[in-house]
Amino acid sequence: MAVSKPGAGVVTTAGAPAPAEATGPISPQGAPAAAPITARRSEFLYFAFRNWKFVVGLAVVLFLFALAIFGPMLTPHEPLEFGGPTDQAPSSDYWFGTTSFGQDVFSQFVHGLRATFLVGLVGGGIAWLIGATVGFTAGYRSGWLDDVLNMITNVVLVIPTLAILIIVAAYVNVHSYATEAILVGLTSWPWAARAVRAQTFSLKTREFVDIARISGRKTRQIIASEIAPNMSSYLLMMFILLFGGAILIGASLDFLGLGPSESMSLGLMMNNAFLSSALLLGSWWWFIPPGVGIICIVGGLYVMNVGLDEIFNPKLREV
Amino acid sequence: MSLRVDDLTVYYQSLRGDVKAVDGATFQIADGEIMGLAGESGCGKSTLGKSLIRFDARMRHVSGSVELDGKKLPIWDDSKMNAFRFKEVSIIPQYALSALNPTRRIGTMAMELLRSRNIEPDTVLPEFKRRLKLVGLDQDVLDRFPIELSGGMKQRVVMVLSSLLDPSLLIADEVTSALDVSTQRAVSELLVEFRDRGFVKSMIVITHDLSVLYQIADTILIMYAGKLAEKAPAETVVNSPRHPYTKLLLSSLPEVGVRYADKRLSGIPGRPPPLIDPPTGCRFKTRCPLAFARCDEEPPFASLEPGHTAACWKAEKAEAA
Repeated sequence: MAVSKPGAGVVTTAGAPAPAEATGPISPQGAPAAAPITARRSEFLYFAFRNWKFVVGLAVVLFLFALAIFGPMLTPHEPLEFGGPTDQAPSSDYWFGTTSFGQDVFSQFVHGLRATFLVGLVGGGIAWLIGATVGFTAGYRSGWLDDVLNMITNVVLVIPTLAILIIVAAYVNVHSYATEAILVGLTSWPWAARAVRAQTFSLKTREFVDIARISGRKTRQIIASEIAPNMSSYLLMMFILLFGGAILIGASLDFLGLGPSESMSLGLMMNNAFLSSALLLGSWWWFIPPGVGIICIVGGLYVMNVGLDEIFNPKLREV
Repeated sequence: MSLRVDDLTVYYQSLRGDVKAVDGATFQIADGEIMGLAGESGCGKSTLGKSLIRFDARMRHVSGSVELDGKKLPIWDDSKMNAFRFKEVSIIPQYALSALNPTRRIGTMAMELLRSRNIEPDTVLPEFKRRLKLVGLDQDVLDRFPIELSGGMKQRVVMVLSSLLDPSLLIADEVTSALDVSTQRAVSELLVEFRDRGFVKSMIVITHDLSVLYQIADTILIMYAGKLAEKAPAETVVNSPRHPYTKLLLSSLPEVGVRYADKRLSGIPGRPPPLIDPPTGCRFKTRCPLAFARCDEEPPFASLEPGHTAACWKAEKAEAA
C-alpha cells in the first residue's frame, strides 16, 4: 500500500470528484450556514465509508490509478525498449517478466494503465457531456427539437457501435489514445441521453421549475440550478458507467489492433501477446496482467457504482 | 379599478380540437378587493388564474384583454410578461408545497428569484425577514432545505416569497387545499392580513371551498364549464344567489347544526360537460332544474343590481318580475 499512499493526494483529481460532485450542486455556494453543509457531507461520508462495495471498488480503482501515475517511475525500462532477455518469467529485475521481444512487461503494464485511464476519462467524459446535453435539451425543450434529438439518439443507439468504430478506426489512422477516446466518446452516449431525457421529463413538470421559468431565468440556468441538482447522484453514476464502458470499448479496439501502435495500452499488450502466441508458449506473465488490469478497473468501477446506489438511495441501505 | 378583464378567452390545444377552458370572461376587481373564484374541478378556475400571469406556456390566448392599474398585460407573450411577473402580478401556485426546489436552501432560492428580477437581494432581505417573522417563521428557515419544513411552513414561505415585491395582484391557486383545517384557517387569515397591510393590492383566491371564501373574500365569482356564472359580494352569493348553479353548489354543502339523517345532501347530478365540445347556449342547461327553451341561446353575463352579475335567463326574469 506504499504506492497508494502518495496516490491519495492525486486522487482528488479523479476519485474524489465522486463525493464532491454528489454533494457539490446540492450545497449552494454562497449559503452562509456552514454547519448544515458539513452535516450533509458527513452524512454522505458516513454512509459511504460504511459501504464495503463503495470502499473496495474505490480502493481498487485508486490503487490502479496511482500505479498508472507513479508506476513508470519505478522501472528503468521503457515500454517499447528492446534489448532485455526474451521470454523471461517475473524476476526482481523484470517484475512482470519480459516479452518475446525482450520488452519489460511491468513497464508496458503501467504505461498501458495510463492509456486505459485516459481513454476511460476522456471517452467517458465526452459521452457524459453529449449524453447530458442531449438528454437535458430534449427533455426540457419538448417539441420538434426533442423529436430531432430523440431520432438522432435512437439512430446512434441501434447502429452497432463496435462495427462502426472498427471501420472508422481502420480509415482514420488513429495515432494517439486521445483520438481513440474521442471516437469512443462520440459513439457511446445514447443510453445516457435517453436516461437523462426521461428524468428531465418528470422533473420539469414540478412546480418549482414553473416558478423558475416564470421568473424569467434562462433555460440553461433552470436546467443547471433546478433540474440537474435533483438528479446529481444519477449523473455521477452515469459517468462511472460510461467511464467503465469506454475502457472496455477502447480495450476491444486495441486488442483488434485498431488502436495506436506507437505507444502502449492494455488492449495492445493482449494483442501483442496473442500475435506472439504467448498462450501457447506459456508466457502467462505477458497476458495475465493486462487482463487482470482491465477486469479490476471496470469491475471496481461497477462495484463502486452499486455501492453508490446504496449510498444515495436510503431504501437500499443496509443498516 | 385595479384589474379589468375583458372578454378573456383561453384555449388549450389538443389533437381532438381546442379545449375551451376559459370563454369570454369579463369582470373587474377593485383595489383592495379579495375575489374568490369557485366552481367544480375542471371548470377553468385555475386556467383563468394562471392565464393572468401566463404561468403555463401551453395555453393559447385567443382573445380578450387584461388591464392592471391602467396598463395592458401582454398575457400572450411569455417574455414580455417577465417584466410584470412578481412585481405586478404574482402567483401562489396550485401545488405550492412542491414549489420549492428540494435541493436548494430557502434563502438561496429566494436570492436567485430576486436576482432574476434584477433586484439586489440585500435591499429586500430585511423586509423578507420581517415578513417571515410576521407569518410566524423564524429567520433560520432561510438556511433550511424544504424537506425540513412542514406543509404549513412551506405554504407560508411560498406566500411570503410570492408577495415579497408588493404585487398589485396576487393569484392564490388552491392555497388551502392540501392543508389540515386549522392550518387552512391560519393561511387564509394571512391572505387577508397581507391585503390589509398593503403587501398586495388585490387578490384572486381560487378554491373549490366556498366556506373558506365566505370567510375571507369580499366578492365571489362562480365559474361553470369555462364560463362565468355569477359574481357578487360574498354575502350575496351565499345568502341570495341568483344563478341556479350557485344555488345547487351551495345546497351541496353541509351546514353546521343541521342533521342530515332524513334528508341526504343531494349534490348536483351529472357532471360538467367536456370542454372540447361544450353545449351551445347555456352550458349548464343539461344539469339545470330550471332549464327551458330559451337556454339554447347563450345568456349574457348581465348586471342584476350594482355589484351583482349573473349569466342566466331565469335570474334576469326574476329581476324583471
